Amino acid sequence: MEYEVIIGIEIHCELKTKTKMFSGAPVLFGAPANTCVNEIDLGHPGTMPCVNKQAVAMAVQACTALNMEIDPLVRFDRKNYYYTDLPKGFQITQQFYPIGRHGYVEIETENGPKKIRIERLHMEEDTAKQFHYDAGTLIDFNRAGTPLVEIVSEPDIRSGKEAMAYVEKLRTTLYYLGVSDVKMEEGSMRCDVNISLRPAGTEKFGVKTEIKNLNSISNVQKAVEYEIERQTQILNEGGQVVQETRRFDEATRTTISMRKKEGAVDYKYFPEPNIFPIQLDAQWIRQLQEAMPEMPEVRQARYVELGLPETDIALLVANKDLADYYDQVMKHTSHAKIAANWVIVELPAGLTKLNKKLSENPVAPQAMAELVNMIVGGEISGKQAKVVFEEVLQGKDPKQVAQEKGMKQLSDTSALIALVNQVLDEQPQSITDYKNGKDRAVGFLVGQVMKKSKGQANPAMTNKLIVEELKKRI
Amino acid sequence: MATMKELKETTTVRQRVEEALAKAHASQPQLNAVVTFVDVEEQLTGLNEIADGPFYGMPIALKDNVCTQGIRTTASSKILDNYIPVYNAHIVDKLKAAGAIVIAKASMDELAMGGTNLTAATGPVYNPYDHSRMAGGSSGGSAALVAAGVVPFAIGSDTGDSVRKPASFCGVLGMKPTYGRISRYGIIPYSSSLDHVGYFTRSALDAAEALKVLAGRDDRDMTSSYEPVPDYAAALSSDVTGRKVAIFKNVIDALGNPQVKAMFEKTVEALKDRGAIVEEVSLREDLLKAILPAYYLIANCEATANHSNLDGIRFGVQQPGDSMEEIMIQSRTKGFGSLIRKRFVIGSYGLFVENQEKLFRQAQRVRRLIVENVAEMMKDYDILIAPASSDVAPKLDDHSRDELSDGYLIAENHMVIGNFTGYPSCTVPMGMLNGLPVGLNMTAKAWDEQSLFDFAAAMEEITGMKDATAEVME
Repeated sequence: MEYEVIIGIEIHCELKTKTKMFSGAPVLFGAPANTCVNEIDLGHPGTMPCVNKQAVAMAVQACTALNMEIDPLVRFDRKNYYYTDLPKGFQITQQFYPIGRHGYVEIETENGPKKIRIERLHMEEDTAKQFHYDAGTLIDFNRAGTPLVEIVSEPDIRSGKEAMAYVEKLRTTLYYLGVSDVKMEEGSMRCDVNISLRPAGTEKFGVKTEIKNLNSISNVQKAVEYEIERQTQILNEGGQVVQETRRFDEATRTTISMRKKEGAVDYKYFPEPNIFPIQLDAQWIRQLQEAMPEMPEVRQARYVELGLPETDIALLVANKDLADYYDQVMKHTSHAKIAANWVIVELPAGLTKLNKKLSENPVAPQAMAELVNMIVGGEISGKQAKVVFEEVLQGKDPKQVAQEKGMKQLSDTSALIALVNQVLDEQPQSITDYKNGKDRAVGFLVGQVMKKSKGQANPAMTNKLIVEELKKRI
Repeated sequence: MATMKELKETTTVRQRVEEALAKAHASQPQLNAVVTFVDVEEQLTGLNEIADGPFYGMPIALKDNVCTQGIRTTASSKILDNYIPVYNAHIVDKLKAAGAIVIAKASMDELAMGGTNLTAATGPVYNPYDHSRMAGGSSGGSAALVAAGVVPFAIGSDTGDSVRKPASFCGVLGMKPTYGRISRYGIIPYSSSLDHVGYFTRSALDAAEALKVLAGRDDRDMTSSYEPVPDYAAALSSDVTGRKVAIFKNVIDALGNPQVKAMFEKTVEALKDRGAIVEEVSLREDLLKAILPAYYLIANCEATANHSNLDGIRFGVQQPGDSMEEIMIQSRTKGFGSLIRKRFVIGSYGLFVENQEKLFRQAQRVRRLIVENVAEMMKDYDILIAPASSDVAPKLDDHSRDELSDGYLIAENHMVIGNFTGYPSCTVPMGMLNGLPVGLNMTAKAWDEQSLFDFAAAMEEITGMKDATAEVME
């Protein structure tokens, strides 16, 4: 039977605030266990929550980027359950009035762009992290109270590819906003996928499963595709899908049952009495929206305008930091394509050789632009540029390097013509070859000129002049 | 005995602190009001750098739900028997900065839930005027210590009438300022939307001086107010000429004891003689009878969440168990008294998704209705008055009360109105019946604590019961 796949995705994203959602303890990834905690994070008696303004500001910007309606009256609720990673015995969240509603993002699919609607975005606090060992359980409360936004999609996603594209879209958007590190492998972005199947053309939703433990974007697609296959097989064999939580197992690339959902848990949500509703100032919201950095779609459009190839655009947009660097380079040059090529290809290759990250990039944007300008201006050849770049990677100025190495490109027409004719005189066979339609001869002759000029001849000009001089001799 | 002001004028710091400690120890067998005696030497050494003020070198007591850094704080519950806070409540910092010397942590009903002070882990607190009677609760230890002349000032907390009822039974001034006037940060909660920090003194002037020290915005309690704090003591006046007083007629009608009624009528005459304009007001009877059930629902629902942090995992008394879950269950089962467990069950029941609308939310709507009606009833008056209780302190083993009678529903519980509305409310001695004190409750409109202090000063002149203390020791 043909089935329609229904997928909804919940994403939890840690906000990159200085302090926690409701306490003044610092938010630091990778700090020694239980060093970023105070009495509030540990749920000590008598402690009270104080809302982090920066977190609200980030949520407002996230809502804006995801085309959501913002509820200017911020309210919080308690979600009650007992668990050792939940110090207060309740989590403060926004159950009844999420700060954002009714948004969407657009993803690229094989059939063109598609809108995925977003039901809600709400703020809440993270739990502590538990480590289970045979000897017992260890709890690190550093994460307890870290601000989170939870973003819940409508069930608009239809395939593993779409699921991956949606998660990727949210990831880049939030990363561009600078509100989160969005590192799935570190858990600063976590993704739960709900999947059900229904016979194509029917209305009623099938039984869904929820997949957790997806620690990379590619695993989202793999897990979804496996789960679709699994459910299809069950249904085709006349069986019934069990409502349950499953986890993705990376080793076997399958999903494994974690727990059955036997009746929903009653979290006894009720409004948080220690936080009165907070009315956000319309002007404050406007200021936050105006201060938002460029979003990926806008950057993409800008790069299309610059005439960059599609693959370059995709690569740059997906790598915000690299693209930010590219934009810096473009402040000092007008040669978009060549600059893009150097930023995308040569720079990362050079950094890899030096075992450096982009954040440690020693090449000033001006230097990179200078190098590009020197190439385009014919001052050095592309081949020379690569030699120069070796030292630019050491932090040197490209002009100075070229000078030190005595690199100059011979671009003087009369001098080049003299060289060309000298070579042609020495290579009569090549003239004959050219006459016989062997275009390769030109390449050989260019090489000879380059050799004679010790690599300084401008290759493009040389090429052009050789053809002109050959024609004169035929 | 002496009020804070008189103690300051007639004793040295060491004299008054040592005398208070001696009295606290001497009265402990009769009153059982102290949970923990606090070492004072370190506090006395630190005094030099503190500016002079009403609390300078003043021995005080704190209800045992006030968190004190490094000093055991049990909230009179077994589960917190070993709990030593890592931080000070906001008011502790304020009192210490003002030079107060904490000599004792005072007994209370377990987790402030109760009106008898019979449920403390350390046993009942006995009324200083008659050791076979209750001190009242939940701030019974604090009230008893002030009434017995041990300390001139003690902190309490008031969720239903937990400062104002024991004040009535013990013949002292019990003040509950406006909701948000004093920060609750560091007070082990009962019910966040109803909890108030309050206190006991033996004079109107002391009460006025104290509030200036305690009141004010604290960023750690988002419900604390930015409302400026006036100099109540400087403005204090016992002249009530032309001030408008509303008699709470429903309460008077429900009084069971004619002697209390007569005492109240005498008080009203005295106020009239002093030029106050006295009129009768009434509230809808159905609303009055709804106070107690609405109160129990709201309080227990919030309490069950507030105390979910008491699980024996991070602090408090941990019971052994084979799993984290079992440790939590055992710790909670053995750590709480039966009354507390009952309240948690009621609270959970009221929050269940199938009950919440008709119980908890309905109670909140009833609260809103009562608040609106009380505001309307009080709009032309400075204060609303009624006896704080229909009788003197009950015997310890008195189970005769009929909780569904008008006498109980209205006469014994009208002071909850002060918690519903958040209006400032204060109990002062009204007179003595057979050697036992009876209190007058006065409620003013939001932020008008000044009217309460002024009328309290007038009442001191009327009753002559300023600085009244019971003779506890032989």
